[in-house]
Amino acid sequence: MANQTGRNSGAQDRLSQVADHLSGAKQTGKQSLLQKHPDDIVVTAALRTAITKGGKGGFKDTAAADLLHGAFQALIQRSGIDPSLVEDIAVGAVLAPGGGATEFRAAALAAGFPVSTAVKALNRQCSSGLQACVDIANAIKSGMIEVGIGAGAESMSQQYGPQAVTEFSELLEGHKTAAECKVPMGVLSEKMAKDKGIPRSEQDKFAAASFQKAVEAQKKGLFDEEIAPLTVKWTDPKTDEEKTITVSKDDGVREGITAESLGKIKPAFSKDGSIHAGNASQISDGAAAVLLMKRSTAQRLGQKIIGKFVQASIVGVPPLLMGVGPAAAIPVVLNKTGLNKDDVDIYEINEAFASQCLYCINELGLDQAKINPKGGAIAFGHPLGVTGARQVSTLLTELKRTGKQIGITSMCIGTGMGMAAVWVAE
Amino acid sequence: MLEFRTQGFNGYSVKYSPFFDSRIAVASAANFGLVGNGRLYVLGLTANGVVAEKWFDTQDSLFDTTWSEAHENQLLTAGGDGSVKLFDITLDQFPVQSWQEHAREVFAVHWNLVGKDTFLSSSWDGTVKIWNPNAPASIATLPTHTCTYSAAFSPHSPSILSCVGSDSHLRIFDLRTPASASNHLTLNIPIHTPPKPRMGAAAPPGIAPTEALTHDWNKYRDTVVATAGVDRLVRTFDIRAPQAGPIAVLPGHEYAVRRVSWSPHLSDILLSASYDMTCRVWTDGSAMGAGSMKQDNMLEDPMVLGGGREMGRMGRHTEFATGVDWCLFGAEGWCASTGWDERVLVWDARALMQ
Repeated sequence: MANQTGRNSGAQDRLSQVADHLSGAKQTGKQSLLQKHPDDIVVTAALRTAITKGGKGGFKDTAAADLLHGAFQALIQRSGIDPSLVEDIAVGAVLAPGGGATEFRAAALAAGFPVSTAVKALNRQCSSGLQACVDIANAIKSGMIEVGIGAGAESMSQQYGPQAVTEFSELLEGHKTAAECKVPMGVLSEKMAKDKGIPRSEQDKFAAASFQKAVEAQKKGLFDEEIAPLTVKWTDPKTDEEKTITVSKDDGVREGITAESLGKIKPAFSKDGSIHAGNASQISDGAAAVLLMKRSTAQRLGQKIIGKFVQASIVGVPPLLMGVGPAAAIPVVLNKTGLNKDDVDIYEINEAFASQCLYCINELGLDQAKINPKGGAIAFGHPLGVTGARQVSTLLTELKRTGKQIGITSMCIGTGMGMAAVWVAE
Repeated sequence: MLEFRTQGFNGYSVKYSPFFDSRIAVASAANFGLVGNGRLYVLGLTANGVVAEKWFDTQDSLFDTTWSEAHENQLLTAGGDGSVKLFDITLDQFPVQSWQEHAREVFAVHWNLVGKDTFLSSSWDGTVKIWNPNAPASIATLPTHTCTYSAAFSPHSPSILSCVGSDSHLRIFDLRTPASASNHLTLNIPIHTPPKPRMGAAAPPGIAPTEALTHDWNKYRDTVVATAGVDRLVRTFDIRAPQAGPIAVLPGHEYAVRRVSWSPHLSDILLSASYDMTCRVWTDGSAMGAGSMKQDNMLEDPMVLGGGREMGRMGRHTEFATGVDWCLFGAEGWCASTGWDERVLVWDARALMQ
């Protein structure tokens, strides 16, 4: 007697259900990643300020803490979260003296968080913003806190300079690899580009594409959702007149950049070099913030879930090859999550230099179309501590817009490290 | 060891009668439960071996059965067509009652051991339903939003019940709480929480959630529940400390575990049945002295927790072992098991325990 319940697919359903019991023990990979569980760490709001040109842009006269304050206020307003429920905030910042610990705590209080909301500042160089999000996610996962914010804030206009690095002692100078930690990024990236055989023409092509993608995205308004406009004071360098302006656009994005126009720029670090202002990340100011909690908490609070954090990886690489960081970190995070590189819909890989980003893409054999679809740091800037948190909002809005799901954010890290994280848009 | 063949039907669940030490019910399904009929056997243990005293055929597979606690001749079945049926073994052929509310396969039925006027069912449709045998419709529906493989009333309270399912969470419902947005849900414990690291052992790795297929309440310690499933581990939890993670973790099965059952006689002993074709007897390490035995793998495997260990195994099934149950009467240790090999085995766990 055949199945008389009138459901033809029943047998197939039951078979696959039982098959899952047998294979499920090692359940990882795309399917398990897309499942929703009450203890998932989810993002209910992710936003950033505009990113503006260091020394010239809209935020040149605004302190990092004030940018952070703006991002916090926008986050509270957009998510509708009760600020007293936020138990901890981690802020990534690279250049601020003392890590920015004091002024970031003050910025949180001024933004409306009660004294019961803790704040820490942390510095893992260019991945500080991502590290902040991951720290908060891990604290939630372990039960230390229930609701937290991962953020980043940087004013390269005000705090970029030699004072950001301590002089090395004799001991460190005497150790070969240790001493290499302070070789300037540009110089070592130049050397790496040469060693790894990445010609200038390729770099310029990649950089021009970044500009073109960003211009296109800006014209279509694709950044509008992730950017929280901020009203700040700004001194006109021509007239010295102080004005109040509202900044809602990345002002480093320039139109009309082509590989040919970039080809004319003089190399910055050596005469026969390939790296120049046009194919390296811009010096910028900005802030970004990401609100994280468990899915069960979000549902209880009625927070709208926009994505989830899955897993992160951190790896060390030789200091002189710091640019290969993403190429080292991404396979690790793919392995941890059981994902195939083709399962990932969008890669946000920070464009510290076109040379290193390109190297990582080629090394991993990634599809160019999946990399930084709205442009990257070459086009709109790399405020050091912000980038990692900025990528979350950029990634999740683009995944949602295109109806895709799985994304990776990654970046290389000064002194030789790489970090990567897997996110799922919902 | 006694044996009975359920010719043409693959066993899914076996239950001893709470009234007679010689009566066993078996829920079974043709074609491995994928498609076709189901059959409910009522077996008698006689001087001439195991004999079928009665059987009832159903149009769709049967995945579970439970005896009525109120009436010695009645028992329930969980059907693949979403039906819950009540059979009376003094009657022939047809069920005395059939309830059709679940939208998908019903995978568990359980009678309330304390308040004997209610029973429950759980289904792949993501709900647990509470029923009264005299009412034509369910009296409560508890949504779980996940394929719910197993549900049971607490043997210590008439209003507390629990369930596990695909999302790797152990849910505890208390029907005394007001019906609110949470639908009586009082605890939602993630089963895959790694145990706390111990001194001298590596920290346990993060564990991905996997489907939980079965669970059971301890018959003596009213806050202890055992769970098991696709990740092959048997775990015990204390619902007084829902955030603390498992209090015992028992690795050993080589494939997913389909059924766990605490001993009605000994507070630390449980039985499991697995896709690896074995039924195993475990102590969870809570009984005095049980944890002091030297264990070779204790330090290597960070997942071993609580001092429990496998005490013995029954490897006579030749296909997936799906059901196992203890006899409530007589010498402590008699149990019955069934599996996809179309066999019901009745055996003494004490003969295996070391």
